[in-house]
Amino acid sequence: VCTSRFWFNYRHVANTLSVYRSVKRLGIPDSHIVLMLADDMACNPRNPKPATVFSHKNMELNVYGDDVEVDYRSYEVTVENFLRVLTGRIPPSTPRSKRLLSDDRSNILIYMTGHGGNGFLKFQDSEEITNVELADAFEQMWQKRRYNELLFIIDTCQGASMYERFYSPNIMALASSQVGEDSLSHQPDLGIGVHLMDRYTFYVLEFLEEIHPASQTNMNDLFQVCPKSLCVSTPGHRTDLFQRDPQNVLITDFFGSVRKVEITTETISLDRNVAAFESKFPEEEFATEPLKYAEQLPVAQIIHQKPKQKDWHPPGGFILGLWALIIMVFFKTYGIKHMKHVF
Amino acid sequence: MAAPLVLVVLAAVTVRAALYRSSLAAFIAERVEVASPLNAWKRVVEGLALLDLGVSPYSGAIFHETPLIIYLFHFLIEYAELVFMITDVLTAVALYLAIQDFNKVVFKKQKLLIELDKYAPDVAELIQTPMEMHYIPLKVALFYLLNPYTVMSCVAKSTCAINNSVIAFFILATIKGSAFLSAVFLALATYQSLYPLTLFAPALLYLLQRQFIPIKLKSKSFWLYTMQYASLYLCSLVVIICLSFFLLNSWDFIPSVYGFILSVPDLTPNIGLFWYFFAEMFEHFSLFFVCVFQINVFFYTIPLAIKLKEHPVFFMFVQIAIISIFKSYPTVGDVALYMAFLPVWSHLYRFLRNIFILSCVLIFCSFLFPVLWHLWIYAGSANSNFYYAITLTFNIGQILLISDYFYAFLRREYYLTHGLHLTRQDGTEAMLVLK
Repeated sequence: VCTSRFWFNYRHVANTLSVYRSVKRLGIPDSHIVLMLADDMACNPRNPKPATVFSHKNMELNVYGDDVEVDYRSYEVTVENFLRVLTGRIPPSTPRSKRLLSDDRSNILIYMTGHGGNGFLKFQDSEEITNVELADAFEQMWQKRRYNELLFIIDTCQGASMYERFYSPNIMALASSQVGEDSLSHQPDLGIGVHLMDRYTFYVLEFLEEIHPASQTNMNDLFQVCPKSLCVSTPGHRTDLFQRDPQNVLITDFFGSVRKVEITTETISLDRNVAAFESKFPEEEFATEPLKYAEQLPVAQIIHQKPKQKDWHPPGGFILGLWALIIMVFFKTYGIKHMKHVF
Repeated sequence: MAAPLVLVVLAAVTVRAALYRSSLAAFIAERVEVASPLNAWKRVVEGLALLDLGVSPYSGAIFHETPLIIYLFHFLIEYAELVFMITDVLTAVALYLAIQDFNKVVFKKQKLLIELDKYAPDVAELIQTPMEMHYIPLKVALFYLLNPYTVMSCVAKSTCAINNSVIAFFILATIKGSAFLSAVFLALATYQSLYPLTLFAPALLYLLQRQFIPIKLKSKSFWLYTMQYASLYLCSLVVIICLSFFLLNSWDFIPSVYGFILSVPDLTPNIGLFWYFFAEMFEHFSLFFVCVFQINVFFYTIPLAIKLKEHPVFFMFVQIAIISIFKSYPTVGDVALYMAFLPVWSHLYRFLRNIFILSCVLIFCSFLFPVLWHLWIYAGSANSNFYYAITLTFNIGQILLISDYFYAFLRREYYLTHGLHLTRQDGTEAMLVLK
């Protein structure tokens, strides 16, 4: 999530896009990523290199490629939308790409960047999200079983204040600076005219560039990224709510989509398996002979049975009443004496 | 007179049959001026289809016809075209017979007044002669059957034709003097679309006149007859409504039919005045304005009754015109009904002041309706204001037509009793002005 607007906050968009890029590179598909960018830097009229967002000076790395899928853009990035995405309390008309479709086996990575202060993060220059709100949102997610483990990274000034209030289990948090410290930006690019990245995210990105899907790097290494000498601020982390030892948590658990695949060298014949399966249950009375699928339903019966056309008819009482009235009117007007002529 | 009538009927039926077979039928059936949400044929078919599927046709806001129409079309839906052609023919025949009788009544009354010396001496040219009145019934039937509005309404199979037919039979029964039949037909007409309720007053006035009961508020026989007629009317209305309950065993039809007519929820454009106002009105005021607009229809009955109590059939004509201008979902079929009466007042021609302009306005507006509809809906280069302007102009034309006839009628009556050459006190020529 990038929460800042305006051209001079280029670095926040670049931060978010670099993390997005790394995460995609490590295997997480767009359908599993909710990307929220508060402003469009690539197509900003002040961008001297349109359709690009660079994260490294001298334009080495364009993190805005061809396949960037922004789910919440511009004014849609609001505190309300962010909390709705987290908690899943979204109007039914929201498309799938804008939802966080996680369940209780999902590991979620949340990366937020922007301008912040002690206990809050500023959204769009007009509203803030507080650490209490965030903690409550995470608790809602826990109670709704929306995550298995959650990694929360925040790169703002006084970022550590944002994770102070968490109280739900299985959350690990990282921040770029402690309370009272400011996170600083990395380097300006004289060609583009703004600072391109923040220091903490820059070093995290360098760290992530070395990770590949099979790497065994664990969280402790991530905690060492960006020491005070490089970052000027002191990065913080919080692991007391996390049940596993950070030593045993792989980076790819959160940043990548890694499946456990077992390769076996023996072959299995399926036909024999089916026969073996069937012969295991001869005593069950369901089927004396194997039924073909089509025969399990009386399909022929169902197809040829035409739906009974129940035509509506006016009730007999109505017809009787109506015609009795008509005959009464007729005879009242013309007199009874005509009756013998009619009949 | 039967032979020319049969000829006219045959011509009309041929025209309608030819149009049914042509490709224009589908185009006309969709025109919003001819088919309103109340009487479109599409909705009747939809309602009957829903009934076949086991669902009440009044669930949902599609079907707004009465249960008697359901019963009528349940058996006749394959012969729908024949039904509508026969309905039109019946209407024309009913109007023909009614106007024939009315002419006799007028003539008798005229003779009586001449003998009683109620007329001024120099009004010989204003008196209607049997010669000129001989062809009026035929002209009425002709005006109704060959009016392009009626033809379009019939080709579109709008149930307005059935309503017109019931009203025509009501007029026939009233003029023939049978209070019972006229009450029954008026109840049927009111049951189908609410507004013929206002025709109660002219019918009552005519029947009182026929029974030679003077219209004085203190007269006991007046109140007795009024009570009799009103009770006949109300009883038949109640009986018909209760009977329709037994068709579907539910009272659903009351909000669907009468609630719909009165509360005007559907704002599809038509040739009336309601849709535009309510489309742009704030919700807060819509109840108030619905009441105002609906009262407007019923409002003219009492003043007109007071002014036209000697001439109830003219009153009936003006009332039908007012209904078809101010009702909530008018169509050209309603306009056709009162236009059929215009030949009856053809002797007023010399007093009509704006007839040329008004007929031009009406004809041009009728041609402009489809043009501006096309521009608004299909070409997108106009908007609803254009169509509303034409609606407004059309209705203003109609209102001016009615008021012109009203003025001409009253002027003729004044001349009949006061002489053609009016002079003021000092002997100069005077002009008659409608205040």
